[in-house]
Amino acid sequence: MSHLNTPAVVMGNGTGLTKLGFAGNDSPSFIFPTVIATRQASGSGSGRPPPPSKPSFLTGAGGISSAGGGNLSQKRGTEDLDFFIGDEALNAANGSGYGLNYPIRHGQIENWDHMERFWENSIFKYLRCEPEDHYFLLTEPPLNPPENRELTAEIMFESFNCAGLYIAVQAVLALAASWTSSKVQDRSLTGTVIDSGDGVTHVIPVAEGYVIASAIKNIPIAGRDITYFVQSLLRDRNEPDSSLRTAEKIKEEFCYVCPDIVKEFNRFDREPERFQKYLVDQGLGRKVSVDVGYERFLAPEIFFNPEIASSDFLTPLPEVVDTVIQTSPIDVRRGLYKNIVLSGGSTMFRDFGRRLQRDIKHLVDARIHRSEELSGARSGGVDVQVISHKKQRNAVWFGGSILAQTAEFRSYCHTKQDYDEYGPGIVRNFSLFNVP
Amino acid sequence: MLLLQYHNLLIQSILTERFSQESQPVSIDQVISDFDNVTYHISTPESKTKILVSLSIKCFNDLKKYGVEELLQREYGPYIISPPEVGYDFSMVVDLEKLPPEIEAKEALVDKIALLKRNALAAPFEKAFAQFDELAAEAAKSSLDLSVPEDSGADVMPIHYRDEESIFIKASHDRVTVIFSTVFREETDRVFGKVFLQEFVDARRRAIQDAPQVLYSHKEPPLEIRSVPGLKAADDIGFVTFVLFPRHITKDRRENCISHIQIFRDYFHYHIKCSKAYMHSRMRFRVAEFLKVLNRAKPEVAEKERKTATGRRFGAR
Repeated sequence: MSHLNTPAVVMGNGTGLTKLGFAGNDSPSFIFPTVIATRQASGSGSGRPPPPSKPSFLTGAGGISSAGGGNLSQKRGTEDLDFFIGDEALNAANGSGYGLNYPIRHGQIENWDHMERFWENSIFKYLRCEPEDHYFLLTEPPLNPPENRELTAEIMFESFNCAGLYIAVQAVLALAASWTSSKVQDRSLTGTVIDSGDGVTHVIPVAEGYVIASAIKNIPIAGRDITYFVQSLLRDRNEPDSSLRTAEKIKEEFCYVCPDIVKEFNRFDREPERFQKYLVDQGLGRKVSVDVGYERFLAPEIFFNPEIASSDFLTPLPEVVDTVIQTSPIDVRRGLYKNIVLSGGSTMFRDFGRRLQRDIKHLVDARIHRSEELSGARSGGVDVQVISHKKQRNAVWFGGSILAQTAEFRSYCHTKQDYDEYGPGIVRNFSLFNVP
Repeated sequence: MLLLQYHNLLIQSILTERFSQESQPVSIDQVISDFDNVTYHISTPESKTKILVSLSIKCFNDLKKYGVEELLQREYGPYIISPPEVGYDFSMVVDLEKLPPEIEAKEALVDKIALLKRNALAAPFEKAFAQFDELAAEAAKSSLDLSVPEDSGADVMPIHYRDEESIFIKASHDRVTVIFSTVFREETDRVFGKVFLQEFVDARRRAIQDAPQVLYSHKEPPLEIRSVPGLKAADDIGFVTFVLFPRHITKDRRENCISHIQIFRDYFHYHIKCSKAYMHSRMRFRVAEFLKVLNRAKPEVAEKERKTATGRRFGAR
């Protein structure tokens, strides 16, 4: 077979960003926004005559022409190829005639037409591979309905004839990515994944490769909130530049997690060199300097003390993690405490893992202490370990790359032959990776 | 995106980023795939400033016969290293510290490297064009009537660029014939492909008179390549023949012609997939419309007065 030596394709389509690449690489080849720019049916500006509409009893009778006749199915030419994805889409939308569409909302694919064309362009233009020769590993969010899996499989197998397909849950891949850390001794797929991206933070318990769906919790605090918080601090101080981009840069370059806010305030007072300056290039050769002060440690602090930034969500992250593990089945809790894995860009702050580990340990120890007092028995204690590693930012993609590179990967995939034999229903189940 | 590009976008973007002034040298280790089982490996094995680009292509042994080594030598001369990286057919090293200083020259180098696969596959085409030149000159000398097709001495050059599919190139004194054999594993694809190729054949008749002649034959290999040994005649095989006449391969058009024709198979398959995607979106639209009609056809549920078990009514608040 021709596709035995080609690398598998790993595609992670998220709400915000899409990560594309080949298995075995240590970073995605392409990272761009999951957005598609299609031509708008405005008609103004472009001198083209409107395309003849399809004679149909449906459109003819009641004039149902939805979305102003802009639906692709009424076009007869090559309009279906007139679109851009990713960064090119953002550029195209700056001009006239194109409108942006986000095919994925809240992690789940909403518009299959757009998604199909998004994939088409990702595969042929960006990855440049013939899907018939490659195996594919796609990612899906936890709690993705099985119908969505089936629709994905239909597109991958029927449109693209891809050789084989595996759809993996993001949290499981994030666990696999943590195997590169030196702290991990046994390569198990049991653990708690804290996945914090731009919009939302998920805490997902995984037991032996299965997501414990009932215990998943979401926190409405993530990267964007931290950026807004930094921005508001900059505005309060009347800094010369307090744009969102500056705030984001400051967040990425200067912020870290401190063990104790009060002590950290004192340290800043004692050591003035902790205050820093950030040079903003405003374009046209103008440069202004922005002071960076307490936001260095205050911004990531909103994970641990949400009340400083938000008024409606007040549960600190360590407490949420503890609750998630406590609502999981009792026999896996030890494993979940022992293997708390970070994933996503907003977990990249220095000492984030250490602080989280300490706070969770406090909660756990307090509970053990109380139960010891009440029962009089001695407890062996519970091991709490938060694992941070170098690949945290693209942990999900990287985990996919590791797993898709293994020799067994192809045996776990559903192949085109399987699909033809059994239909789209087969993708409801994937055998889990046997952990060595 | 109507047309596929000839260069590899990923190589281009990686190198452009590396070559820019501001970027710090970092280590790279990426395996990149391209159409037709071509694999690239970009890495920095020795130091971060020395980028090793390796290419593995299935038909390299075929290409060797047609002078690929000279061609690559011509294009990438100073950068080539030999022997190539283990497991790859061709390797070159670019030293970031010895780059040309001008931005244009750097861009040209990036583009050149991104076209590695295209250039490797160009060898047999260039050879065929050279043969064509010779044969045409010979024919002119012996004052043959150019319009009479005559079986010339040039051999058919097969390139087995995929497992089941090949390109055959044959030069004559008045034309160069390029034949693709195509195999479809999928019934739907075959139907789409047939329609698509039919359009290809017809397009010339209708509008574009200058386009090369395209012939399509199913199962039966065209006359030009009947003599090639090892030709499989199966039910699912088809042959697409392009006849390039002298006006298509004038000196200034050759490069362009090579680029266009060698991406044909990928373009073909890409468009079959695009048509399927288009069909699917029409199907989805139609289903949504039918569902609307069905929903309208639902009988109104008459609101019956509801009572509790004891006969009491729900009072309106």
